[in-house]
Amino acid sequence: MGQLTLGVGEYGASNIIGEEVKTYALGSCIAVILLDPQTRTIGMAHIALPDSSINKNKAAEKPGYFADTAIPALLEEMARYGCHKKGKGMVVKLCGGANVMDTNDTFQIGKRNALAIKKILWAHDMGAVAEDLGGNFSRTVSVSVESGLVTLSSPGRPSWQL
Amino acid sequence: MNKKLSHSELLAIVKSVPMLTPSANQLLQLTAQEDHDLADVVNLVKTDAKLTARVLKVVNSAAFGLLSNITSIDRAISYLGERIIVSIAIGDSAGKLFDKELAGYEATGGDLWRHDLRTAIAAREVASQSGADISPDLAFTAGLLHDIGKALISDYLLGTAPDAIQMIRSDESVDYLTAEVAMVGFDHTQAGYELAKIWQLPEALVEVIRYHHQPSQAGEANRALVYAVHLGDNIAMLSGFGTGADSMQYPLDPGYGNYLSLTPIDLENIILTVDSEFSKLQESLTANGEE
Repeated sequence: MGQLTLGVGEYGASNIIGEEVKTYALGSCIAVILLDPQTRTIGMAHIALPDSSINKNKAAEKPGYFADTAIPALLEEMARYGCHKKGKGMVVKLCGGANVMDTNDTFQIGKRNALAIKKILWAHDMGAVAEDLGGNFSRTVSVSVESGLVTLSSPGRPSWQL
Repeated sequence: MNKKLSHSELLAIVKSVPMLTPSANQLLQLTAQEDHDLADVVNLVKTDAKLTARVLKVVNSAAFGLLSNITSIDRAISYLGERIIVSIAIGDSAGKLFDKELAGYEATGGDLWRHDLRTAIAAREVASQSGADISPDLAFTAGLLHDIGKALISDYLLGTAPDAIQMIRSDESVDYLTAEVAMVGFDHTQAGYELAKIWQLPEALVEVIRYHHQPSQAGEANRALVYAVHLGDNIAMLSGFGTGADSMQYPLDPGYGNYLSLTPIDLENIILTVDSEFSKLQESLTANGEE
């Protein structure tokens, strides 16, 4: 089966039946998954940090790295597959955003990523219908283009669906 | 339930591990001293023909994209810097341990080395950005070595990961260390500590290996360094590079604030730097193992 694998800070889309869109080991990173029922296209971005203002060069080179640049870039990419430019009718799912076992705010990167992503989605009039965020474990996620089924796995745990 | 190891069984496992090469050992001793300089490193590397050849191979690898080949070891070392030389020597000397498939943690071969390399880069960045008086080079080396104990006990942990995670989720264990002790009698920091003593590593590195999950228990002299590696380890795990089932299953000690100053923005910058440095370093060090 074909596979579109996305690394940290990458985004992409597929409408090839039989293909899977996959990303490995989301720690505090978040996978934004956009499913477009109209065109049967699956888009995904593997986002590492909330805000591109800390490094504009990196954002220009890898827009998928930051929440504020990744979502517009992913929507633009999906428009190439015939999807609505502003994401109308798309189903949004989010997973990842883990945190270390910590009481201290500095290290809550997963939480800050989730907040930033939700804010940007709201600005686009979009909201997640399903999410598997937080906790203190790493997730690998794959989406079947054919069924739209989102499958998650983590070492030492049975896999589950979202 | 897996069989618990006795202390003498643990020591037998540790003693079955090959010693570091003399040059790697001396390099670790030398670079842990505050007042060494690069010329000392050069002189040491020159005593080891195999290491010299490796260093030249790495500096001339595609990752550095040099226009003309470097043939002098002096120039190669000053170009690469101490950290990369230490990485090459450790990889050369104990590569088998680092590349071991950590099946007991449900991790694959190479995961330990990748985690260690990311921890090393993150610890170095924490050391240099936090305003603490810690040698960034030493923090890097300590990051490379901190989890070596996992390679020693992984085989004995085989099949325990789901139970270990369940123990933590149900609050029966506070973290993966206690779960390791429940499963095999020792945790990876205790196993690593025994190896560090047999390898006669410098005290600072011994303490990092032993206390990287409980930095407050390290001696005052090395505590800031141990905290830097503690944070580096957590940053590596957060960025998706753990060693399998135990990833993020350890509490972060907020006491780091007494030794290191780090804002959320500093942390985000460190995550960015680790990502970009890691790809470059990994590519160049791969040239290390090729004949």
